Amino acid sequence: MRLPSCGCCAIAVRCRFWESRIDMPLIEVDNLSKTFRVPEREGGFLAAIRSVFNRRFRQVHAVRGVSFCVEPGEIVGFLGPNGAGKTTTLKMLSGLLHPTSGTATVLGDVPWRRHSEYLRRISMLMGQRSQLQWDLPALDSFMVHAAVYNIPKDQYRQRLDKLVEMLELGPVLKKQIRTLSLGERMKCEICVSLLHGPEVLFLDEPTIGVDITMQARIRDFIGDYNRRYGATIILTSHYMADVTALCKRVIVIDQGRILFDGQLEALSEKLAPFKVIAIDLDADTDGYDFAALGDVLAKEDRKVKLRVPKGAAASVTGRLLRELPVLDLTIEDPPIEDVIGRAFGGSSGVGPEEETSAAESQGGDR
Amino acid sequence: MTAVARSFFAFLRKGIAVMLQYRGEIVLWAIWGLVNPAVSYALWSAAAESNADGTIAGFGRGEFAAYFFAMMIVGHLTQAWDTYEIGHLVRSGEMSPKLLRPILPIWEALAGNLSYKITTLAFVVPMWCLFAWLVRPTFDTSAWQLGLGLIAIVLGAVLNFVLNYVFALVAFWTPKLDAMGELYFGACMLWGGRFAPLDALPDILRWLSGLQPFKWMFAFPSELIMGRITDPSEAFRGLGIQLAWIAVSIVGFRALWSVAVKRYTAVSG
Repeated sequence: MRLPSCGCCAIAVRCRFWESRIDMPLIEVDNLSKTFRVPEREGGFLAAIRSVFNRRFRQVHAVRGVSFCVEPGEIVGFLGPNGAGKTTTLKMLSGLLHPTSGTATVLGDVPWRRHSEYLRRISMLMGQRSQLQWDLPALDSFMVHAAVYNIPKDQYRQRLDKLVEMLELGPVLKKQIRTLSLGERMKCEICVSLLHGPEVLFLDEPTIGVDITMQARIRDFIGDYNRRYGATIILTSHYMADVTALCKRVIVIDQGRILFDGQLEALSEKLAPFKVIAIDLDADTDGYDFAALGDVLAKEDRKVKLRVPKGAAASVTGRLLRELPVLDLTIEDPPIEDVIGRAFGGSSGVGPEEETSAAESQGGDR
Repeated sequence: MTAVARSFFAFLRKGIAVMLQYRGEIVLWAIWGLVNPAVSYALWSAAAESNADGTIAGFGRGEFAAYFFAMMIVGHLTQAWDTYEIGHLVRSGEMSPKLLRPILPIWEALAGNLSYKITTLAFVVPMWCLFAWLVRPTFDTSAWQLGLGLIAIVLGAVLNFVLNYVFALVAFWTPKLDAMGELYFGACMLWGGRFAPLDALPDILRWLSGLQPFKWMFAFPSELIMGRITDPSEAFRGLGIQLAWIAVSIVGFRALWSVAVKRYTAVSG
């Protein structure tokens, strides 16, 4: 019997003396790091010539010492700006990348050993990569998947019917993948990822590029799948709505480090105590003091965007409607990059040491 | 049926379905495969006829016709092209979903290779017949030569496929691999006897070709089928060398694959 090695998992170890066994977390990541070596040169022709003789490389620390645990049946959201290390972490956990250092076990296996028994029990959906055969109807790819994952015929039929019903896929099954809309294709990608009944799902931006209605449907579906089958899910997304709808727990990653690991409510309170109010005006309002109401994020022609404290959103809205000829008004959560950037003082504003201590103090309670 | 066999047949069915979607393109590829030996035949038979005795290295017009006719068939059935493919898969990141499956991607590549050959048969067999009718090859093939020749074609196809795949794995280090495909193709042309019968090459080149695997993919099965190898022990020795090269290639694949996968970093983010 092996005890989890990372400190953050201590709470996940529940000794039941009457059963004399220890429950292990399903995913256990300890001090995982990945460094890429990428060639680098200045722009221009001369630099291109120079690089032939003197090739310079830069170390890119995509993931630096990440540790966390995930319990069976949990949905965890990975949040962070582009290049934060979310996808790299998922790729390591799915076995696509070897880490530079650190350890991880998923379902009791080391992912990057790529045992076929392990690969059979997981699924990774990459929103920007297709696993479907471009020129054939989705059904053909599904059948290949069934053969590769050794899904018995009855079970395949049953699961496919269920997934087709849940994802409303009926009308598109017989169409060539390349003729489908992005949303339809994404639903097919989700369907094929789930056909073998994976116990762990890594979803890398599953709603990228699809319209809002479709995003909501995909979200509902993922939540439903988790509830029905108890699958453990790690999800990355740029859309806060994906995370708020699905994840009780979020892990915020920036520059390869965990900045926050905890309950979503704590994150929203901590990171996004603001609302963004956008208004379209019917007439010019030169001289109106928008800055007195909140931070002016954008102002051009007759469109204004204001950031106001959450508590003041209602009163500011009322005031704007009373005092100005408002054509249209929306209140939104600020974009996630913005939220994270503000809460942690921006990527450049926080030194590495500060980032580490933030991760420890907040991640430590898990 | 084992898991690999089941997956392989599923890949094969899918591969054939894809090929049927691109009938026009695969016919063009097949034509390119026919033109190659046809042009070599035209050049060498013209050169032979310009000689006083009408032969080069023991090949007259009829023998050249037989050799390149056999090479047309062998070249089609034993060809492999993964050195051209894998670089693209690695560069575009399309390799990632393949690596996530619980089966080695080489099985899908092998099924793709076979599905092309199966799908194009309906087109190339009539073309082979037409070529034979036009050039009237002189065959002197007995049943045992034909039988062993067919086995040699299968072994040559396996050898070329695996070795080509091993060379293709370099793509995990240098994804822009088009030149590797050309280099490999060039080696097949020269050392494999696709451009000229190996007997027509200078001694040193012929000796060098014997040290390499390419001869055993193309020249050897072709010479066996056209009846040029008359000693059964030489034929069996050739089959043995084919098997040995296959074993070396498989060992090479197994050794390189795990290193290559470790090296694979896809398009990171």
